[in-house]
Parts: sequence; C-alpha cells; structure tokens
Amino acid sequence: MSHDLTLTINGTRQQIALDDPRVTLLDLLRERLHLTGTKKGCDRGQCGACTVLIDGRRQNACLALALSHDGAEITTIEGLAEGDTLHPVQAAFVAEDGMQCGYCTPGQVMSAVGLIAEGRAGTDPERIREGMSGNLCRCAAYSGITRAVLAAAEEMTTTKGERKTA
Amino acid sequence: MSVAKPLPHDAAPLHVTGQARYIDDIPVPANTLHLAFGLSERAHAKVTVLDLGPVRAAPGVVAVIGPDDLSPMPDCSPSIHDEPLLAMGEVHYAGHPMFIVVAESHLAARRAARLAMVTYEDLPALITIEQALAANSHFEGGPVTWQIGDAAAAIAGAPRVLKGSIEIGGQEHFYLEGQAALVLPQEGGDMVVHSSTQHPTEIQHKVSEALGLPMNAVRVEVRRMGGGFGGKESQGNHLAVACAVAARATGRPCKMRYDRDDDMMITGKRHAFRIDYHVGHDDRGRILGVEFLQLAQCGWSADLSLPVCDRAMLHADNAYLIENMRIESHRLRTNTQSATAYRGFGGPQGMLGIERVLDHVAFAVGREPLEVRRANFYGEAGGQPPDPRDISAQKKQQVTPYRMPVEDFILHGLTARLEESSAYLARKAEVARWNAANDVLKKGIALTPVKFGISFTLTWLNQAGALVHVYQDGSVHLNHGGTEMGQGLFQKVAQVAASGFGIGVERVKITATDTGKVPNTSATAASSGSDLNGMAVKAACDTLRGRLAEFLAERHQVSPAEVLFEGGRVAVGGAEYGFDEVIAMAYQARISLSATGFYATPKITWDRVKGQGRPFFYFAYGAAVSEVVIDRLTGENRILRCDILHDAGASLNPAIDMGQIEGGYVQGAGWLTTEELVWDDRGRLRTHAPSTYKIPACSDRPRVFNVALWEGANREETVYRSKAVGEPPFMLGISALMALSDAVAACGDGTVYPDLQAPATPERILAAVKRVRGD
Amino acid sequence: MSAWHRPASLTEAIGLLAEGGVVAAGCTDLFPATRRQALSGPVIDLTRVAEMRGISETRGGWRFGAAVRWSEVLSAALPPAFDGLKAAAREVGSVQIQNAGTLGGNLCNASPAADGVPGLLTLEAEVELAGPAGMRRLPLAAFLAGARRTALAPGEVLVAIHVPSHAAAGRGAFLKLGARRYLVISIAMVAARLVVKGGRIDRAAVAVGACGPVASRLPALEAALAGIAPEDAAAAVSEALVAPALAPIGDVRGDAEYRGVVAVELVRRALRGLAAEGMR
Repeated sequence: MSHDLTLTINGTRQQIALDDPRVTLLDLLRERLHLTGTKKGCDRGQCGACTVLIDGRRQNACLALALSHDGAEITTIEGLAEGDTLHPVQAAFVAEDGMQCGYCTPGQVMSAVGLIAEGRAGTDPERIREGMSGNLCRCAAYSGITRAVLAAAEEMTTTKGERKTA
Repeated sequence: MSVAKPLPHDAAPLHVTGQARYIDDIPVPANTLHLAFGLSERAHAKVTVLDLGPVRAAPGVVAVIGPDDLSPMPDCSPSIHDEPLLAMGEVHYAGHPMFIVVAESHLAARRAARLAMVTYEDLPALITIEQALAANSHFEGGPVTWQIGDAAAAIAGAPRVLKGSIEIGGQEHFYLEGQAALVLPQEGGDMVVHSSTQHPTEIQHKVSEALGLPMNAVRVEVRRMGGGFGGKESQGNHLAVACAVAARATGRPCKMRYDRDDDMMITGKRHAFRIDYHVGHDDRGRILGVEFLQLAQCGWSADLSLPVCDRAMLHADNAYLIENMRIESHRLRTNTQSATAYRGFGGPQGMLGIERVLDHVAFAVGREPLEVRRANFYGEAGGQPPDPRDISAQKKQQVTPYRMPVEDFILHGLTARLEESSAYLARKAEVARWNAANDVLKKGIALTPVKFGISFTLTWLNQAGALVHVYQDGSVHLNHGGTEMGQGLFQKVAQVAASGFGIGVERVKITATDTGKVPNTSATAASSGSDLNGMAVKAACDTLRGRLAEFLAERHQVSPAEVLFEGGRVAVGGAEYGFDEVIAMAYQARISLSATGFYATPKITWDRVKGQGRPFFYFAYGAAVSEVVIDRLTGENRILRCDILHDAGASLNPAIDMGQIEGGYVQGAGWLTTEELVWDDRGRLRTHAPSTYKIPACSDRPRVFNVALWEGANREETVYRSKAVGEPPFMLGISALMALSDAVAACGDGTVYPDLQAPATPERILAAVKRVRGD
Repeated sequence: MSAWHRPASLTEAIGLLAEGGVVAAGCTDLFPATRRQALSGPVIDLTRVAEMRGISETRGGWRFGAAVRWSEVLSAALPPAFDGLKAAAREVGSVQIQNAGTLGGNLCNASPAADGVPGLLTLEAEVELAGPAGMRRLPLAAFLAGARRTALAPGEVLVAIHVPSHAAAGRGAFLKLGARRYLVISIAMVAARLVVKGGRIDRAAVAVGACGPVASRLPALEAALAGIAPEDAAAAVSEALVAPALAPIGDVRGDAEYRGVVAVELVRRALRGLAAEGMR
C-alpha cells in the first residue's frame, strides 16, 4: 500500500508516494529527494543538525514523520538563497565565520531564520543564545554563531523598516 | 601577502547553502549496500553460541559476515595488532562488534543486527581503574616510570608535605558527523575508499592489509570531516575495513555509518585518569619534589593508549620547573571501549594533575595561587639561546623532567599581560567582596597557564608531503597530506601556497586529501597539520617559483633572486607580467609546472624507554582567567567570564586561530564540568545519547569572552613562524575547574581543601561544598 | 506494509484505535527513526483531531486540547496562575521541540521527568479520556500511574486537559535544575502556585518532579503554608515537609540523595520567587 502526500519543498509542490508510512521527514529529504544539506546528527531531536522550517516554524526533521506534514510547506537549507544571492542569515554566517567543521551549520542557519521570524529574541545576545540552544556545535563556534545571528537580525529588521518607509 | 589574513573558512559558502558534502552526502551507485555491526551486550564474556540465522532471514539482508567467515581475521588496531575486526569467541566490552550485516538499506541492516541469538558465558569484567589496578591488568606488562632528581628525598626533606588525588573523567568526542565510510570496488579488485578519517594512510594500510592487496591497490579520499577531535584518528578503521571486506564479498559498493548511539557505544573516548600526588614544598609554595601516580583507563585494546599516556607524563610539569619529579604511569586494561586520541592526547590529564597540585599547595600555604604558580614557573626565555660553547650556561640550562631544554618560555610576560588585561587582581578582590555579602551564590576566579609540546612523540611521524600543480591558465591545484575537520587547515595551507606565488588565495583550488596524490601521510593530529603540511606545501611552491624565477631571470639576464612575485604580478628586470602570463610562457618553454614538497621536522630526538630527549620541536603557550559562580545549595554553576591570551606564534590566519582558541576552551571546560560518562556496574555505557551526555550548548558559553593572540613569532623556523593551535587551547579550560574550586573554597572557612573531582557536575560541587563546610 | 491514519474527528480516532496501533502526535518522544521497530503496527496520527486542538476558556475553567503544542501554550493569553506551566513550556527541550511536542504527549509518555506535569498538578488539572466505553474524567494524579505508565485503558485516548476555574487563580512558578542551561532533561523540578488574600496565603499548591516515578504534590507543606504571609513561605519549607512525598531515583543524571537535597531548595526558591512577584 502506497501513501501519497503533497509537500511544497522550497517553493516547489511535490507529490510523493511513500511505500513506508514511518519515513521521517529527514530520511525523505536526504535519501529520497537527495536534499542532503539537512544533516543527521543524532536522530533523536537533541542536536538540531536536521532543523528545517515546517510552515515557517523550526522543527527537527529527524522527529517529524513525513506523512504527518501532508500539505505543509517545507524550507530546507537548499531553499534559502535566491539564485546566487545568499539569504541575509547565510551571508552573516560567512561574514562572521560562524562555523568550523560546518556539519551543524545548515541546522544553525535554519534555526536562526526561524528564531528571527519568531521575533522574540530581537537583538539581545542572551536571548539569542537561549533561542539557539537547540543547535549544538561541538567545535563551539558559538561566538561566531551568535554574532552572525545578531548581525542578520539587525540587518533584516533595518531592511524591513526601510521597506516600510519606502 | 595572503598569509596572516583573517580569511573565513574556505568552504563557508558551501556550508551555509548545504552544498558541502560529507561521506553520507556523496551520491552513491544504486546498487550500494549498507552495513551495520551486531554488538555485544556483555562487558566480558565467552560467546558460546552465535546464531546468525534470524539475522540472515531478516528482510533486506544480503549477507551476514561472522567471525568464522573471515580467515585471517582483519586487524583494525593502529598500534599492536590486538583489535580483530570482529570479536573472536570472546567479547571484551559491551558494544564490541561481533558480526557484520550487509543489507539493501541502512535501516534494514540496523534492524537485522539486533536479531542474533547469542549465548554468553560471563567472565569477570574490569570496569573501573581501581578494579583493573587490583587485578594488575596492565598494558606493557606494568607501569612506566620516568624521573629526574630524587623526588622521594626532596619530599622527605621538604618543610611541608601534602598528598592528594584527583579523578578525571573521560570525554566523548561527539563529532556532529558520526563515523562513516564508503568503499567502491574498482576493476582488478582495487578499492576506492571514502572515509571520515584524520588518517587516510592508516585507512589505506588497514584496508590493503585486510584484503591482502598492496597499498597501491587502495586509494583513500577525504574531503572533510564533520569534526574529528582525535576520534577519527583510528576509530574509522573498523568501518572502512568492514566495507572493504563486504565489497569484495559482494562485488558491490558498501557504505557504513554509525548512528549516534552505536557511535557512542562502539568507539573509544578520552582516557579517564586518576592522578595521585605526593608533594614536598616550602612555606612560599615553591615545589621541591613531586611524585605522581598516573592511572589511565585504557579500555580493552591498546589503540593509541601508549603514546597518550606518554604525553600525559610529558605534561606532568606543565609550566613549572620542578627539579625532583617521579612519574609512574599505569596503562590499565579494562572491559570498556578502547580509549583513544582526543584533542590534547593525554596532555590535558597530565597538565590537570600538576595544576591541581599548584591549586592545593597555594591553598595549603594560603597564598595567592597566581603568585605560587609564578614562583614555580620556568625561567623566561632571553633574546638569544644559550651559547653551546659556554659550559656554565649549559649547566644552568633549565630542563623538563624528560630533560628537554626549555628555551622559549614566555609565560612570565604572557601571564603579566593577561593579569593586566583581565584586571585579575581587582576582580579577585571584587569576588571576595561578593562572597562576603552573598550566602548562596559564591564566585570564584582562577588563572591557569598552558605549555604544550608540539610534535608527534613517535619521531618518524613528523613528516609531510605536498603536490602542487599550476595549470596553463595560472590556476593552482593544491594537495597535501593533511585532512580538514573544521580546524581551517585547508584555508591556512592555501594561504601559504598563495603567498608562495604572490597571488590571491582565490586562485588556489583546495582539493580532497588523496593517498593517490600524496603518499605515506601522518595522521592530522598532534596539532601538527599546518606546521607539517604548510611547510611541505611551501617547499613545493618554492621549487616551482624557483623554476619560474630561473626561467625569467635567464630571459631578462638578471639573477633569479631579482624576480619578484607579488600581488598577482611578477616583476623582473624592469618588466612586469601577470602571473598567468608567466605561467603561459613557462608552459610554452616546456618548464615543469608540477612539484612535490616534503618536510621533516628538525631537531627532535626521543628515547621513550628512558623518557629522555627532545620530543618536541617547540612549545605553544597560553593562559586563561575564568570567573565562575556556583549555587551553594544546588551545585549549579556558570562560567561568567573568560579572558584568554594565547600564543599562536605569527598567526597564519588570526580569525581561524581565534576560533580554535574559543572552541578549545569551551570543549575543555565542558570536559571538566558538564560532560560525564557513566558506566553501570555491568560495564554498559549509560550515557550513550545526547539526552544523557551533555556537551556545551550556545547558552553555556561564558557571557563575557575576551580572546586575544599573543604577539610574538615562533623562535623556531616553522611555517612563517606560526605555532600549532589545534590542541593547546583545550587546556585553557582547566582554569574553569580551578575557578570552581576557588568558589567552593569560599563556602568554607579556608581550612578544608575543596578536593573537587572532575567533571565538576552540580552534584560533585555540592559534595565539595559540604566537605569544606564540614556538613 | 503497515497502515497510516490521520483521523479528523474523535469518533473516527476511537474507531481506528479499537483495531490497535501506535498513537503519534508531535513524535518528539517517539524517535521514529531510531526506534522504528516500536512503530511496527498501524500508526494513528492524532494531530488533526478537531477535539484535541486549541486552548479555550470554558464555563468551568480552561481547556487544553491534548494535541496542543508547547509553543502554543507559550504564546497563549493565560492568567498568572499558568505562569509556571508557561515557564515549563519554555524549558521543554529546544524551540524545535516546543514547535512539535504536545501537552498530551508529555502526559501520556509519563516520563518521571515530564516538564508539564508539576505545573499541571498545581493547577488541579483533570484529564478527559475517550474510548469505546465513552468519556471519562480523571484527576491528573490518578491518570499518572507510575513511571511510563498511565491509567489509559486499551483503545482509550487522552482528549483534553481541563484546569478548573478555582485553580486558575493566583500565580504560578516553575524551576528546573539540569546539567546545562537549556536542552536538558531535568535532575529535579518544582512547580508552585499561591493564592494570596489579605496578605496571607489562602491556598498553596506545590509539586515536585523528576524525584520519583511520578511527579507529586506536597500536601503537608501546602497545609503548613496556608495562612502565613507569602514572604515567610520559603522559611517554612523544611526537609520533613518535602521528603515524604518524594521517592528519588538514582540514575545517570544525579543520585537520589542529591535530588532530595536539591528538591527542597528548589521549593524554597519557587516560593521566594512568587513572594517577590506578588509584592511588585
């Protein structure tokens, strides 16, 4: 018995047939859709390497059953940049060198995008550190990560403001 | 010049877009098979029945390889051939691989691996250091002892004496990318191996040995690792060998990755230690003699334990000139995961031993710990090394307990600068005021130094090779023996290459480490990556630049020394060319545009049996001030502030070096605070998931974190006078433990030493608080 | 190949459950990939069941659908009595977990360290269950039968959590102690709620979690607190008033004695915090 679902992944609507209903969103992305930017770190929701946005909210793809999210919009690390133009969060992670080995980076970036969208942390470094605590970085590039999120949050707020006044 | 620029990691744009590929991201042929190990559930037992029938019958299983299916059994040990790929009749730890499942999918393999019917006959298991010591369960037949002077006599004659002991926990690497390997069979039985390894040549060696092939039939490629920290120096052997064996048996590509819990159950970790000390000192805290008993939990096989324990002994002095020292090192065999390399490689444990002694002595004599530390420091290096013809100078030369002259000591100047920049004394007074006014939250502050020896202690490993091609269009293709695991080696080495040609780093293509391009490489370990490979690359670039200079000099009738490569241009005899023009001309003139480079570290000699010689080319230095707060009633704690001054010589890339320093400190502080490994009394690791094993998160980073680089070149001739930076900053984390000890001491009346054990979990802190309060 | 269902109504869900299967909601405790064997039967995803969604004020108090996510609790406009529950919501795993995990899942999973339980106990929460035999209501304390055990009968499902109006009074607080600042499973945790009238504690509700197979209220302490001034509450806490309600377990996160000591201190602090809040 095949299970059909529809997901809009990085803006593209896709009909997907699963032969096994228990496939996680992470395995679906990585193994069937070959979107390997989303990483598998612990497979139990404790490291954040697999963070994606589901309907705009950050979640661990390793804990999400794909079928549960039939109809949802999924944004992965591959869907952030517009062509060659990096998303402000991505650009900030490069500029602030918010990484070492890079394995946790896609999850960090997605989590930061989610955090900024939640609008609760603002530009308070302490709130940002709290809000990013679901994403472990064993290299402990936390200074660069915090700087990057701050810079991106500031830039995105300014840009929004400018747009409003324009 | 490209060197010394604070450039970000070369792959940063790939990481932030998810394009950077790790082993599990490499597209594989459709017929690829997936492997999983079946694991022992017992710590030590005879396997009387291993029925793999249900495993073979499970859905998706293509083959099952048990101990009887391999003859001879491949070995996975990096040292003394004591690690068969699969347990042969006897299991030595809970998590010991017993058989290999080869299946159509990763999940099918994993699921089937749990279906074996095993009957065990339990044997006595040694889980703890104390059990192994009582059973006289040693590697190398017994303890290793090195000494200088006469410690026993010095202690006996000392005005004051103290004894103590510190337990030091191990540490899980928790590289975010788990161990992984992919083996692709080639024509004629050759193999191409993709491995997440710090040591491609070792993988090549082990795979070729397992298959009975010459090393030239196996090629290993490593683009990057998602973290290594020493955990991928030897622990990847099993996956690569298993995949190779399965690939030969099935003729299909084979891939294996450990899930997190398997990774934590199977692979080795940092060595847990217990260090007992017996110290003779004077009233000012000058140490006159020390006896150390270093007890190391090595796990079931030798792995790298011998050099790890050697390095612990080699750092038993840290920054202190102690003329009478005896170190007795026990390398204990236990029925636990085989402890392995981990950032610092035993150095952190050895160094913590002596820092604990200094803390204890300072407490005993009631003096400011920094002053006591200073009173014991080696003498500061002068401007010039001592004149070897001057016998009196030689006589006075200060040496380590292993008799290596200490000629580059800078910690007097460095700690003075840090003391000032961190306002150490003023804050110490502030902490005392706070503690007087607050009953529940108590603060502590400590400054600890680091002196870390740089070079592999196995002297022959201190070599590296490089291969540099320049193509007709002037673009550069760079290969060397080092591997990238986030430490920024590739970017640093690319900067060296770019500087060699006077071009921008964007002209240099950084490629995967490949045993087919650079052979016989050493592990990227011992912080040596940029020292060794940077020099090898520089040598290759120097050769190429020499050829180009000679060619242009002849054309322009000048001397080759007058040909200048800078800013992407080449100036010669009043003329100027673009670098790519020169390359095009050289190509047409039939000049070879490819060169190898080689480097062997000079000056080092080491007799490990006697424990004497010069094992290190130089020392890297640093110091940190940590300020912490503890909750006297719950044991909860935070690092409030950290100030670091670290010596990276003339930094090849200050941005990358600062990242290494911050990351090293946080990882080191994690080791000594939140990261606790727990085995139950049956030897099963209970902390095998991130829910129970706690590495520092973003919110655990100190709120105030000031990191600066010491400005001073390496006095030895290293690549652009830089210093190694991978491991030394890890030990700056010791300052966090000493600050916690200070905070605990503040809960008492100053008569009882806190005797804080590591890791200082809330529970241990609370126990220490009770101790000093006499509750 | 096993089946997958996502019922839209309670009736449909109960019908499916009658045939057996694994219940799924936020999946944060299910570890779908690593424990896939546990998911071998049909999976019944409850996140779309209308009756299990939303937070609303009812005539009798407040109703939380069992499939309400932690992030919904955090952003809901609730009276100060729920401050403890909200503080717990903020400390459940990470934001990623709070966006997926449900209140009902937390209760049904019945971990001794479940973050939601102590707060709900102080709110006198009742659970609404539905099954083939119809609906029933149970006090939360009766629902939690032990470590990883609940009073759910076969085929029965948790539909909603009710907080009666009388318990939605006063102000709540929650404290959790773990080895790390965030992303931790508790070593010990405490929830408290005080109703103050005329400068005296009119009613006190205090519960401790992660210090026994199930979280529990501290009736002896609550009685001792009644009638005293809030600022004297912390001083009234003694080990004798707390310890009898606890049965701390030793595990890799902390030994039993340590948990007991810490629980007493956390209770004091929660009460001290509430007293300070009240005086503002």
